[in-house]
Amino acid sequence: MQESAYFNQYSPIRGVWDEMYGVDRIRDHYSKVIDYLSTESTDDLTKKEELAKRLFMSQGITFTVYSSGEGIEKIFPFDIIPRIITAAEWAFVEKGIKQRLTALNLFLKDVYNNQFIVKDGIVPIDIIYSCPHFLREMYQLQVPYDIYVHIAGIDLIRDHDGTFYVLEDNLRTPSGVSYMLENREITKRLFPDLLPQCGVRSVMEYPNILYKNLLALSPRQISNPTIVLLSPGIYNSAYFEHTTLARLMGVELVEGRDLVVNNQKVYMKTTTGLQQVDVIYRRVDDEYLDPLVFNPSSILGVAGIMGAYRKGNVAIVNAVGNGVADDKAVYVYVPEMIRYYLNEAPILQNVPTYQLGNMDERKHVFDNINKMVVKKTNGSGGYGMLMGHASTEEEIEDYKKEIIKDPRNFIAQPTISLSAAPCYIQGELHPRRIDLRPYALCGPDGIEIVPGGLTRVALKEGSLVVNSSQGGGSKDTWVLA
Amino acid sequence: MLSRVAASLYCLSRYVERSDGMLRMLKINYASSQDTVQEFTWEPVIRIFSGQDEETKKLGNDSRAVIRYMVTGKSNPNSILNIITLARENARGVQEHITKDLWQCLNEYYHTVKDIRLDNSLKKDDPISVLDILIKQVMLYYGTVEITMERGEGRSYMNIGKYLERGIQSVDILDTKFGSIDDNPDLLTDTTYWKHLLLSLGGYEIYLKTYREGFEAGNVLEQVVLNNDFPRSVIYAVNHIQRYFERLKNESNIDHFRELSFYIGRLQSHIKYSSVKTIKDEGLHLFLTQIRSQLFGIGDALNNHYFANS
Repeated sequence: MQESAYFNQYSPIRGVWDEMYGVDRIRDHYSKVIDYLSTESTDDLTKKEELAKRLFMSQGITFTVYSSGEGIEKIFPFDIIPRIITAAEWAFVEKGIKQRLTALNLFLKDVYNNQFIVKDGIVPIDIIYSCPHFLREMYQLQVPYDIYVHIAGIDLIRDHDGTFYVLEDNLRTPSGVSYMLENREITKRLFPDLLPQCGVRSVMEYPNILYKNLLALSPRQISNPTIVLLSPGIYNSAYFEHTTLARLMGVELVEGRDLVVNNQKVYMKTTTGLQQVDVIYRRVDDEYLDPLVFNPSSILGVAGIMGAYRKGNVAIVNAVGNGVADDKAVYVYVPEMIRYYLNEAPILQNVPTYQLGNMDERKHVFDNINKMVVKKTNGSGGYGMLMGHASTEEEIEDYKKEIIKDPRNFIAQPTISLSAAPCYIQGELHPRRIDLRPYALCGPDGIEIVPGGLTRVALKEGSLVVNSSQGGGSKDTWVLA
Repeated sequence: MLSRVAASLYCLSRYVERSDGMLRMLKINYASSQDTVQEFTWEPVIRIFSGQDEETKKLGNDSRAVIRYMVTGKSNPNSILNIITLARENARGVQEHITKDLWQCLNEYYHTVKDIRLDNSLKKDDPISVLDILIKQVMLYYGTVEITMERGEGRSYMNIGKYLERGIQSVDILDTKFGSIDDNPDLLTDTTYWKHLLLSLGGYEIYLKTYREGFEAGNVLEQVVLNNDFPRSVIYAVNHIQRYFERLKNESNIDHFRELSFYIGRLQSHIKYSSVKTIKDEGLHLFLTQIRSQLFGIGDALNNHYFANS
């Protein structure tokens, strides 16, 4: 096998699982890509990188950063080298996510109805009632087909021996799926013929499956129900994703001001009068959804929508109140839920997690803080985290004070050394840390996961944080047939 | 169709049409500013497309400064940069109602105007080349609309916006150009003056083919107001507003439809049954003011009854 210069100078990080490099040789599933790349010069690859940037820019796949009164368009950094997952790895992940999501849906139904899991002493009651995302407004509200989580973006990471772990369950409004779709489109342009040669499975079915599921939820039994995607509007950083999905599914993209509730039915304002809405795929958070029930100052939502929801006149996707199941303190109990509801052993492992509300565990965490990552239970986007190994004494002490004020709000996990994959950085290949977010869709026919997902990558050398708000980028994710 | 979507399509289309009118006007005026011994005045252009204030007074008759103010001026709310930003914001909010091609085309127009290199070229290179780059972007936009957009309700709103904007522009340009004659009667017989007016409206060739007796104010007026075949004439714009509005007929809001149909029909007849002679008898300025306010009335009625902005 001929290997070009990039691969000779590639040096994997010690003690870290490298997706491309096995013991002293390139893993089989990466070999075709490497053969292809070795025929390309540095100039060619750099040109491809520029082409990718131009394509993202010209298609408006950008987010806007506002500084000094002027909006600056930025693209979500994209690394041109794909991340490759073998058929066997994927089969395992797929099975694990299906199992986990089934249990989580049962948990949500239980927690908002009879609460058997609490009564049987599996999950402590205070963990649930202290969660800000547990919404009493959802108590005994019947959702179609008992499905609460229609769309899940479960984050997976791999430890130093390649084992997959679940880092967090995103069950509210997981984002990023448009990047899964667009990254693939870009790769088709960058590497002609390479995808079919390598036997990469397609991700194009995603919008069709989602549409099919949304259609099935319509409360009215009519041939052509109205499905809308509710977006907070053009200033939302995920707006591009909202339009992409609306376009691919052929549904109306609406904002809160386009909707109105009358007689516990939701309508949209059209040029020819009001039109009843049956299914709402909302990308507005719970707290902003209905100013009459939640945040009264919200102008992103629709007044009275929760009344229509409770009455069963409109289906909302994902269900309201899902945050109680992806809370980081509840996360600890997911393996127990799987055993309790399904009587199965969990396929995907949790990252070991310490609850700082528990005195013994808190002491253990404080004693070993250099090896820990401490997170807020309802934080996201990589904000408000403490990375023990990379923080100063002072930062740690300040953070400890925060924890003692409200220990329920924090959990700690040992620092997991995320797996690494090769990235094209300034003309050379270097390993960078990655995670994986596959998108699972749950409908009346069961759970379907398109073979692929979003691979996020920490582009800063040595960084373990892949969030886009913290300098992360993404890669196209290939699942081989 | 959502009222908000209809309103955005209409606005986006008006903004692009306005940018087209402005760019052509700037191009021809710049060319004539290079072709005169007297001092060239930019005042009418500024009056039509931006309105005068302290800042525009400072620009004086410095061609390059005026063009930069009108094209890339951040402080000018009506600069090409600002109106195309608005057009794009509108398009962004209705992305799934326009084709992907059209969105990319507008997006490219926006990035072209926003590119710092464009502003730099305006500072030192040939302004006509720069204006041509932008005019080409508008032409691409119109071609893309023509080839890719569904012939549905959305396109009707876009066309109504486009022709309403065009009608208002032609009326404003005529009013300003004929208004200048009151201060300077020599212009009435100045052939280059009329030639530039026709060039800036893209009506020079049609004029030459229609009228054999050279440049004459009455003929120019006839062409720009009454010629059914001249795409920038007022009657052409109104005919098209009527044509695309008819397609929006729907039983569920028939009352509002009838009201707007009435306004449009009345305006159409007013122009159709006018001639250069009746316009002159009536008073040109008065005539144009009436047409203008009726065009605005149509816009207001659309806002109230179709865009839920009342």
